[in-house]
Amino acid sequence: MNLVEKILARASGRARVTPGEVVVADVDRILLHDLSCYLTARVFEEEVRQPVCHPDRVVVVFDHHFSPPTEEQARMLQENRAWARRHGFHLFDCGSGNIHHVALHAGFIRPGTVVVGSDSHTPVHGTLGCFATGLGNYSHAALGLPFGKAWFRVPELVRIELEGTTGLGVTPRDVALFLTGQIGEGGMVYRALEFAGPYLEGLEVFDRWLFPLITVDVGAKSGHVQPDERTLSFLAELTGERPEAVRGDGDDVAEVRGWTVDGLEPQVACPPTVGNVHPVTESAGVPIQWAELGGHGGGRLQDIRLAARVLRGRRVHPQVRFNVVPSSRWVFTQALREGLVEDLHRAGATWFPPSTGSNQAINMGALAADETMVSTHARNFPGRNGGGRMYLASALTVAASAVAGCLADPREFVR
Amino acid sequence: MATFVEKVLARAAGLPEVIPGQIVDVEPDLYMSHSASWRCIRALERLGTDRLHDPSRIAMVMDHISPARTAKTADDQRLCREFAARHGITRFWDVEAGIAHLVLMEEGLVRPGMVIIGTDSHSTIYGALGAFGTGVGFSEVTATWVTGKLWMKVPGSLRVEVEGRMPPGVTAKDLMLWLIGRLTADGATYLSVEFHGGYPASLTVSERMTMCNLAMELGAKNAYVPPDDVTRAYLAERGVPPGEYEEVFPDPGAGYVRTLAVDVSDLEPQVACPHTVDNVRPIGEVAGTHVDQVFIGSCANAKYDDLVEAARILKGRRVAPGVRLLVTPASRQVAARIAREGIHADLLEAGALITNPGCGACAGDGGAMADGEVTFSTANRNFQGRMGSYRSEIYLGSPATAAATAVRGVITDPREFL
Repeated sequence: MNLVEKILARASGRARVTPGEVVVADVDRILLHDLSCYLTARVFEEEVRQPVCHPDRVVVVFDHHFSPPTEEQARMLQENRAWARRHGFHLFDCGSGNIHHVALHAGFIRPGTVVVGSDSHTPVHGTLGCFATGLGNYSHAALGLPFGKAWFRVPELVRIELEGTTGLGVTPRDVALFLTGQIGEGGMVYRALEFAGPYLEGLEVFDRWLFPLITVDVGAKSGHVQPDERTLSFLAELTGERPEAVRGDGDDVAEVRGWTVDGLEPQVACPPTVGNVHPVTESAGVPIQWAELGGHGGGRLQDIRLAARVLRGRRVHPQVRFNVVPSSRWVFTQALREGLVEDLHRAGATWFPPSTGSNQAINMGALAADETMVSTHARNFPGRNGGGRMYLASALTVAASAVAGCLADPREFVR
Repeated sequence: MATFVEKVLARAAGLPEVIPGQIVDVEPDLYMSHSASWRCIRALERLGTDRLHDPSRIAMVMDHISPARTAKTADDQRLCREFAARHGITRFWDVEAGIAHLVLMEEGLVRPGMVIIGTDSHSTIYGALGAFGTGVGFSEVTATWVTGKLWMKVPGSLRVEVEGRMPPGVTAKDLMLWLIGRLTADGATYLSVEFHGGYPASLTVSERMTMCNLAMELGAKNAYVPPDDVTRAYLAERGVPPGEYEEVFPDPGAGYVRTLAVDVSDLEPQVACPHTVDNVRPIGEVAGTHVDQVFIGSCANAKYDDLVEAARILKGRRVAPGVRLLVTPASRQVAARIAREGIHADLLEAGALITNPGCGACAGDGGAMADGEVTFSTANRNFQGRMGSYRSEIYLGSPATAAATAVRGVITDPREFL
């Protein structure tokens, strides 16, 4: 069996499962953010009203708000807090960071487990070898919370093999963007993706992270990386104990697709959708007013270090505001220790509390009608941040564009 | 023989002397407008003119909402940016800069003897550097953009002589709250409040800012601390030599509406209770009151010295479980310095949520409360409904009291941590 089949077989108490089969699986972790928590709580308390089966498996992270701007939003968070405390869930209040980064950093994600959440980017936890996927709030309310379960149709697995070596100024985010464009939105509907190959295996955990992150963008059910020595030592360092590795047997794969990253240029997802990906050179020169490191895929320590490579000794363009949103308190603390907070500040960047930043413009990030933002965020749909247009790119490209005042090829900045 | 305000307004009106109650046309040296600048621009459009008297006297700072969270605000802010660029307004600070008052003072634009108007009631803060600062409406700022002039009634003056040695754990904020409690919110309505004596002379500019800022809550037209070597050093550090300003001092024997003598030697930490700034009690009477949120921010108390004061208590301790501690540095310079000196890390490790610089929760940019919630704040206003629900409460106090309160989760006397 492949990794997804093994995980779902164990979780559903079966000796084996095959693609197409419907299983009811035990859920090891339910992740809710401030918006989904509120909606899930409503359904659960109004229509289900049962004890929660495994409260210690539920993790609530307030990440869309870092501080409620209105009374209504304050009330929503207050209700969330009261609900989480009443049931004994793990609660991370505003300012803790992005839901997925917090869940991982706090040690809640273990290889071989089933992780579900309302956030559509929940599959990112496949990075550590989980079966992770997004479900609707009703699924959590009706099955996850009262019974600790969720039903799944076992997906077919597609292995994506990546090989080659990226050139200077080309980062794993560029490769992930490139793949999204290549596979296409909806190109892998309800399939599970296994990211593999020498290029991917050579990446550190938080760079691998960017691949399962694109799962939802191509329509897939889940995405993962097979746990290896790097995964296990990462977890050993994080949690103080070395987990068991669950790995797939390697042959039960519906399809294998391969790409090389040799010669790849920096990539940008252009408006209006995540799959509209082109080399940055095709968009270079488009004026921008906003740049941001943050979101599910950004605000990693790696992103902040990359931006610092561009920004040390340079200044953000006077027409650009550059927001830096650390993905967690750990990242913020480490960035302070490494002097990155000062370096980026000196270059003209502004630091924001750990959160999902401008995602959906709850606390920040609204654009005027013809303003343009380039960011490390995961989504660029029209209207998501007020008016304006959004480009998605690597931290290097975001930083280079912030300096240039327009979309810029980062290779000119990191020679 | 004239008070500070009589002398400074006479100069700005081009008159040999003025008396309280007289209406004069003054030529302000600086016109500050904050996030409401878009209103000034819209008002200018309605006036049907595009001619500005002197763009170099216009200063705009996008501080109240930073950055935008709605497309409407984003449009308004873009309007200001474009207006500033089109008119050659070089004193334009965008959403990353911080609170207007602090930005202008840090940039050396506020100098002794100046007359400054601003679209913010706490423009009295400029008195910390011996300037006349007062809050006006946005349409008045618009009119001043065009004419270079604004009419004013010359205020009478209140002279406060402050002596004594402030006890440890008690601050300029406590003095001002005590004074507001004693004089009430209209204790100095339309008066120029002058602070004299050994205590203000012993203070840093930061503490003088807190005093002049809070003077607004007495109803003051403006506030004033006489410029001295502390003032001159502050300005010199910002590239402003003494030759570039004219200090103004009241004459001995000038006429005051009232003179008040205060001794701070036995002062205790003070707290303004809901829902007015003059509902002030000594800390002992409110200690133990539950809080949900602590906000260290605003033009009253989010300067470097204030954050150091808070960090002294928070370092190595943790915010009480269930309490949210919001810290909003007053300006970019403050944010940079606390990062450099490890104060940011101390606050972060204590559990604080540190936002980007700006007005923050004081102006409704975050920090809203639901029904029944309580915030302890270092800001200058605690009116009902100011921070969210009409059924929430705001207590005001010093950064030290705020920090002690965050650690315990109930209003706490900071002297317990000394």
